[in-house]
Amino acid sequence: MDAFAYTRADQPERAVRLAADPRARYIAGGTDLLNLMKDGVQRHDHLIDISALPLADVRESGGRIRLGALSRMSDVAVHQAVRRRLPVLSQALLAGASPQVRNMASLGGNLLQRTRCWYFRDPTMPCNRREPGSGCPALDGLNRWHAIVGGSDHCIAVHPSDLAVALTALDATVRTLSAEGPREIPMAGFYLPPGDTPHLETALRQGELITGIDVPVTELAAGSTYLKVRDRATFEFAVVSVAALVRLRGEEVREARLAFGGIAPRPWRSEAAEQALIGRPLNAATIEAAGAALVRDARPRAHNAFKVPLVQRALSDILGQFGRNR
Amino acid sequence: MTESQVGRPVSRVDGVAKVTGAARYAADAEVRGVTHAVLVMSTVARGRVTAVDTAGASAAPGVLGVFTHQNLARLALPSPAVAFLKRFLPVQDDLIRHAGQPVAIVVADTLERAQQASGLVGVSYRAEPPRVVLADDMGEAYIPPQTNDGANDYVRGDVAAGLAAAHAVAETTYTTPMQHHNALEPSVTVAAWDGDRLTVHESTQGISNTQNALMQAFGLARENVRVLSPYLGGGFGAKGPVWPHTVLTAAVARQVGRPVKLVLTRAQAYTSNGHRAETHQVLRVGAARDGRLTAIQHTVTQQVSRTEDALLNSSEPTRILYACPNVRSTQQAVRLDLPMGSFVRSPETATSHALESTLDELSYTLGLDPVELRVRNWSATNQESGERHGSSYLRECYERGAERFGWSRRDPRPGSMRDRDGLIGWGMATAAHTAGGRPGSSATVTIGVDGTARIRSGTQDLGTGTYTVMRQLGAEVLGLRLRGVRFDLGDSAFPAAFASAASATVPSVGAGVVRAATAARDRVIALAVADPDSPLHGAAPDQVSVGDGDLFLTERPSRRVGYRQVMRRHGRLIEVTSEAVFAPMGYSVGATFVEVHVDPVLGRVQVRRMVGVFDCGRVLNHRTARSQAIGGAIWAIGFTLSEHTLVDPNLGRIVTPNLSGYLVPVNADVPDIDVSFIDKPDPSSPALGARGFGETPMTGVTAAIGNAVYHATGHRIRDLPITQDKIIAALS
Repeated sequence: MDAFAYTRADQPERAVRLAADPRARYIAGGTDLLNLMKDGVQRHDHLIDISALPLADVRESGGRIRLGALSRMSDVAVHQAVRRRLPVLSQALLAGASPQVRNMASLGGNLLQRTRCWYFRDPTMPCNRREPGSGCPALDGLNRWHAIVGGSDHCIAVHPSDLAVALTALDATVRTLSAEGPREIPMAGFYLPPGDTPHLETALRQGELITGIDVPVTELAAGSTYLKVRDRATFEFAVVSVAALVRLRGEEVREARLAFGGIAPRPWRSEAAEQALIGRPLNAATIEAAGAALVRDARPRAHNAFKVPLVQRALSDILGQFGRNR
Repeated sequence: MTESQVGRPVSRVDGVAKVTGAARYAADAEVRGVTHAVLVMSTVARGRVTAVDTAGASAAPGVLGVFTHQNLARLALPSPAVAFLKRFLPVQDDLIRHAGQPVAIVVADTLERAQQASGLVGVSYRAEPPRVVLADDMGEAYIPPQTNDGANDYVRGDVAAGLAAAHAVAETTYTTPMQHHNALEPSVTVAAWDGDRLTVHESTQGISNTQNALMQAFGLARENVRVLSPYLGGGFGAKGPVWPHTVLTAAVARQVGRPVKLVLTRAQAYTSNGHRAETHQVLRVGAARDGRLTAIQHTVTQQVSRTEDALLNSSEPTRILYACPNVRSTQQAVRLDLPMGSFVRSPETATSHALESTLDELSYTLGLDPVELRVRNWSATNQESGERHGSSYLRECYERGAERFGWSRRDPRPGSMRDRDGLIGWGMATAAHTAGGRPGSSATVTIGVDGTARIRSGTQDLGTGTYTVMRQLGAEVLGLRLRGVRFDLGDSAFPAAFASAASATVPSVGAGVVRAATAARDRVIALAVADPDSPLHGAAPDQVSVGDGDLFLTERPSRRVGYRQVMRRHGRLIEVTSEAVFAPMGYSVGATFVEVHVDPVLGRVQVRRMVGVFDCGRVLNHRTARSQAIGGAIWAIGFTLSEHTLVDPNLGRIVTPNLSGYLVPVNADVPDIDVSFIDKPDPSSPALGARGFGETPMTGVTAAIGNAVYHATGHRIRDLPITQDKIIAALS
């Protein structure tokens, strides 16, 4: 790690002013940033510690649950309103990381964690996401953990956040503050597709600070759940994951929102799969059709073709739970 | 009744020091003026270094030296006889033999400055495409000259005839991936020179080997090299051999004229300490209708480096374990542009896995219970040497294990057992590993005038409990209470001991302690019976027993005298050093039973229950022995279900060199493990009936898990690890 300056910000406006300098970076829990800096993946001359900013509250207001960006993963996961009204969010948070990491990591930081792609994480390897134009060894290399949808010929890394998958399914909105003032970014537009600019990961501008996340409280959200499939029981990123919000009337699916992790460079909302469910009875044929719609455009590589059936099985498993719980 | 000091589940005597931080590991050594080294590793797997730009690093603040093959002193390559297995020293020439080979060393006054400067070293290469995929180069397999892994082409009887005569033959191919140790404490060297005298604080499983290797590298006399290693945070074989980083640290310390500390990063440990090499194994096992084995043919092909022939995945169990007249074991190597493989806890686990899995396959072919198949092929004899085991209660292990597990309730039909949400499988396998047959160790016992004893031996404590059990052994032989005995290790100034490896510490070091303590005790008895004022005056020495800190007449225990009184009257300490006596070969065995749950939709395998019953002779300490057993079982879960080091086939580089990419089991992967011991002394043991045990409990467990997966699903996953993608592919 290289030497860097450190400033602790006490007000969001001051943090934003300091971060106008492109050499500066925010740090909150530091659970990802410190690793990246120690490994030389990222170098920043100036860290602005935002962990003392008054952005750690969780409250319900106006049909939304408003999550402060600096709320800790562990606090939000056990928050009564979150558990009752947004079960998928609580489950996704608890499925992530370890208790120690959840006690440190903030929600905003969670959304901005970098991919676990091993080529990205080793600064001595080529990686278009880290070093534009240097190449992507994953395309013809070890890509068991890589994307089957939404990738490009420049990058097939997957986004690691469980939280982001749940928030995508919940149609949440990210609130930010920058020198231009506050704005709101819907989750659907928060992460950018890799295309030929995989180094551009989010819609955030230089120095723009995530101040919070608003999640609509709906009947649909109350019936939501998260399934994470991984290579060991806990403390591991998803091989595939599913956040599912389903509202049934009788056997018929009235509403559905599905988002997936582990299969794409960003949390993957599948409207095709949702449309295959809505208006149809939640039976085996419907579930199969939804799975088929989900992977219709899948482009697996040499080592990750298994994700195509696995994500369909995960979807089938989670939808089966809705059927049983009816 | 005298209280026995061995057997009891004594807590680790170093436990409090470890959990309070009082224990000083190698990296904690307080060395005045210590500076810090950071290695720069090659990023290509094959080729040559064409240029190293050290200008930026040399000019960086705090930098004391930047060393490359162009300015590092020439060093003598230590020999394999002192466990320096690697056949080249890096930073001595421009040749790249594998990725992650040191190409430069930066020394600075602080670690942070050394790290920062290391990032400024610019290395240019002429890279060549590496070959790193075992399957691609199987045609290049060769049988290397024998090292210390048994005969590479071993034949007993006539395998062709045995297979022809068989009623059933199981033919299988099993593959196991590259794996790494991941000791909690990375390898550490702190080297300090005083003129021609070198002191090294080292995290090593063998201080004698380290001392010898440094003597050879720098041409130093023994008395000028001291190696200290009081505590280790695990080793698992990573710290068994002596590796280049130790020599390089001493070399740069000499050149900068300051003490230097080097701590390998986790990623560096992946290319600096060896690994469990990938294997491809082909087995043909034949049996008569009654299950008696008629032939075993086992060919293991494994990766080796460009520069070494070391084969560590030995087919030991194939040669030794089962009564079978016709056996051929071939151990082949394929050279790849990778670091050398080396010892990884229970190196024979890979071959045990293939053998025990194949026996399970055979049991289905024969329609014979897998426990019964093994009982029918039990042997009291080491099948390779022809010598009888000192004792073998393996059949009792099967019997007790089956009972504790409830094996009789098993429906043998694959896929027949389920619970509410998935498939249940029960599997079992034999655990077996040699323990001993290695060089001996010496120890010094000093009995002070206060009647307490200090024992010293230049051994190490990997975390396995050496401090504790050696103290127990010494106390037992001397007849002192534990608190009256101190055991010190980890200093090459102490009598030399064999490395903490090969399950040899109890038979090698333990025997040395027993011999020294026996001689010291006899000296005290001689004093007591010679002293006219002693209650034991005039007694024959062989009529005197010891216990609870006293010496007493065996037939009249009320006639007794304390060590303290005898030694006080003597007024001088007694000191005895034992000679190193070759440690006899032992064979520690066991039976493992496993229940798995398989999610038929997602393919996830969970180990639900494990029972292990072991015969390691007399158990010196039930607590540390149990720790060995559960540690082996936990690693076996990782071995079977999640651990594999991945090498990019084009770059030739490890892409998982950290605990995020390389998945060791977490607590949630580990069920309650039921461990018990036969606990009967081995009469051939030189250590009070105890045998070595460390490597036994990991063998067998991997196959038991795989066998349980088969029982659950009806599918054999013959390529480890058994990840959910393979289960799904099988179930689809």
